[in-house]
Amino acid sequence: MAAHHLAGALLTLLGALFLFLGALGIVRMPDLYNRMQAGTKATTLGNILTLAGLALYHPSWALKIGVIALFVLVTNPLSSHALARAAHGAGVPLTEGSVSDALAEDLSPEGGEAVES
Amino acid sequence: MKQVLAILALLVLAFLFAGLVPMASKPGNGAVGDYYATHGIADNRGSNLVTSIVVNYRGLDTLGEVTVLFLSVMGVGFILRRREGTPKYSPVPASPILNTGANLLFGSILLLGAYIFVHGHLTPGGGFQGGSVIASGVLLLILARRDRELSHDLLAWLESLSGFGYALVGLVGLVVAGSFLANKGVLPLGTWNRLFSAGVIPIIYILIGLKVGAELSTLLDIMIREPAPEGGGH
Repeated sequence: MAAHHLAGALLTLLGALFLFLGALGIVRMPDLYNRMQAGTKATTLGNILTLAGLALYHPSWALKIGVIALFVLVTNPLSSHALARAAHGAGVPLTEGSVSDALAEDLSPEGGEAVES
Repeated sequence: MKQVLAILALLVLAFLFAGLVPMASKPGNGAVGDYYATHGIADNRGSNLVTSIVVNYRGLDTLGEVTVLFLSVMGVGFILRRREGTPKYSPVPASPILNTGANLLFGSILLLGAYIFVHGHLTPGGGFQGGSVIASGVLLLILARRDRELSHDLLAWLESLSGFGYALVGLVGLVVAGSFLANKGVLPLGTWNRLFSAGVIPIIYILIGLKVGAELSTLLDIMIREPAPEGGGH
């Protein structure tokens, strides 16, 4: 087995581990926002590691995989940001142990110093 | 109880798929499937056999499918139309992150959708998939630019013209080659695995892509403009 095959397979396995951790986070976290951050961060990293592993395994695919990775890197956080904001707007409650809600402070009229462009 | 049900469902699925796996490896797919597999490329010169089946062999069904989609969009528009006296939709400005992301992504999403339906006869995907990708780009734009309105007139024109074009290509086949939606004898089939090949299949799939994209965009816009229930905001 060539060295780059082994490295690619290991990297893909590591990516799969992060994807699994993301799934575990969605099950275990206490409220929607925590679940979302576990889901987004872990799956973005897991996706990119998996893709990087594939690029190592098949060097001729590297350019296309790079474009896909870039796309995942931009779209995954963006969509969860929009979803989380929409959930906040719809009034999905925070978990009981939460200590602050920065978005609510930003949006409230009293918190006038917050910059919303 | 839930766990027991989950395990039961898994067992049932495993049982079902265990029956399917040996069948999939058998060579025979029935007379029709074998015909498609052996004659598909010679008949249509499309390297994506699924597209050859969807657009050529089963072209009439696909025309019906597109009509069903059109009718469902019309139905949703009819049910969700804003009634007199209901509060007008009040847009909440999108966050700067969403705005920047939309600026960055909209063009490339549109390009990807167009690529998918233009290459429908060569690579996996086609009009329906490409149109859905385009509609997802439009959704991003709708969410990011809440103050701007989508032109329903333009979309309706695009949708009607592409549907009309689909039927027209079928009629041309009827006149020139003797059967509705015929492929052979209407346009040169060209060389296998080239962009300009497979006769009228790419033309039809481009029209389907535009139609599906316009339809789904209209649908998403109608659903978003519907006034939010009490307590809803963003």
